[in-house]
Amino acid sequence: MFNVDKFVKEETERLRERIKGKAIIACSGGVDSTVAAALAKEAVGKNLIAVFVDTGFMRKGEPDEVKCMLERIGLNLRVVKAEDEFFTALKGVTEPEQKRKIIGERFIRVFERIASEEKAEYLIQGTIAPDWIESGGGVRDKIKSHHNVGGLPEVMGLKIVEPLRDLYKDEVRKVAKHLNIEVHERQPFPGPGLAVRVIGELTRENVEIAREANAIMDGEMEKAFAEKKVSKPWQYFAALLPVKSVGVHGDLRNYGYMIALRAVESIDGMSASYSKIPHDVLDKISVKITNVLGKKVNRVVYDITNKPPGTIEFE
Amino acid sequence: MKIFVVDNGSQWTHREWRVLRDLGVDTKIIVNDTSLDEIKDVDGLVLSGGAARIGWESAKLGNIGEYIDKGDFPILGICVGHQFMALHYGGSAGPSDIPEFGRMEVEIHKASPIFRNLPQKFTAWESHNDEIKDLPKEFEILASSVNCRIQAIHHRTKPLFGLQFHPEVEDCEFGDDIFRNFIEICRQHSEKKHKHE
Repeated sequence: MFNVDKFVKEETERLRERIKGKAIIACSGGVDSTVAAALAKEAVGKNLIAVFVDTGFMRKGEPDEVKCMLERIGLNLRVVKAEDEFFTALKGVTEPEQKRKIIGERFIRVFERIASEEKAEYLIQGTIAPDWIESGGGVRDKIKSHHNVGGLPEVMGLKIVEPLRDLYKDEVRKVAKHLNIEVHERQPFPGPGLAVRVIGELTRENVEIAREANAIMDGEMEKAFAEKKVSKPWQYFAALLPVKSVGVHGDLRNYGYMIALRAVESIDGMSASYSKIPHDVLDKISVKITNVLGKKVNRVVYDITNKPPGTIEFE
Repeated sequence: MKIFVVDNGSQWTHREWRVLRDLGVDTKIIVNDTSLDEIKDVDGLVLSGGAARIGWESAKLGNIGEYIDKGDFPILGICVGHQFMALHYGGSAGPSDIPEFGRMEVEIHKASPIFRNLPQKFTAWESHNDEIKDLPKEFEILASSVNCRIQAIHHRTKPLFGLQFHPEVEDCEFGDDIFRNFIEICRQHSEKKHKHE
């Protein structure tokens, strides 16, 4: 069985031996990077600088929440506003692999700048097993380039350290609980954030639609959990599809986008089945999305694909 | 108990390692061109699946033919590992008429130590483009699904087992039980081997 106590002791020791001098840690506020940060802080103390990059693809209210949470853990935090940089680099790009690679490279360029200012040689990342497995290499086919593995540029001036490389999400959550970190029940949220939940080009307008749709789904799901109408799926989210269809709004023709809702049950993200969310909960989410975002979105669909054949996120 | 996982490039190779580890086995992932000499002392091997297409890319499967021929330990082939076993003994494998992905009901027709204590029907998790087409006479079919006739095989006299589906993924019912059965097969084989020494 996975021995949390042993893992924490051994990994902290390994980090202490490996890292000489200063290190930065890429922190999105998700469970993986936050756990990696807590371990690294234990190992190298004040020599650790946590970097949170606001890519412009975070969920509603997330940058502020993450900042507070990381500071509460006692991390020495630097927040980098890089929204313009990311949107500019991604202008006109629609191919999902190209998107992920550009995002991976942008992250590294930001980290290189901070590392050079801080005179740090190491970049610690919260990479977990599915990230490198799905990124492929050697005999393994590439399913998608995770920004922190397959999305890394070929030339970079940082030494990568990945303490959680052999762990899956359920094991990371056990470590979080063991370290008493408050993120352990958080929803998985990919590093590229809403960028992989907007299919097609990443315009500010499209990202805003996806942000609002995700906030609406989150709100309605939270209500349904509180009313015990549904148990919490392993992951749930909304994605904006670049497909337009015809609707009718107040006797007028409307031509708008489509939102796909997705919710899955899983343990480790390597296989999944779609969640059987009750229709009345789906109905509430659909009504709210098509009313609040009515001018832009006039249709909501629910994704009933397992993994395989689908992956959990759309891109 | 030492059972290694031979990596043929599956998305779930690391899951096989994890399930074995969680069941208390001393385990490690090895590349498929590891020499037999280096793994002679294992109690068993799991051959992972992989993206290689069995019909024209079996060269990507390294030394696993040698492990099957010369290794004195039980082997569990999964997906492409299972297909390779049939091919290696002179059978054939190639593209499925209906590839299967995700949830699929599998029905057991023939008792085998690998399926000990399993119900006759269960929900398995699939992910394959190819399958075994003709099974060599040394093997028997143990189970099938509606789209795929050869979902599980065993050798009539040697401890060789093959599964087209993926017992290592969480969504596969009775996956851990299948691994437990394989561990038991390995344990018994080692015991017998050491008695003869």
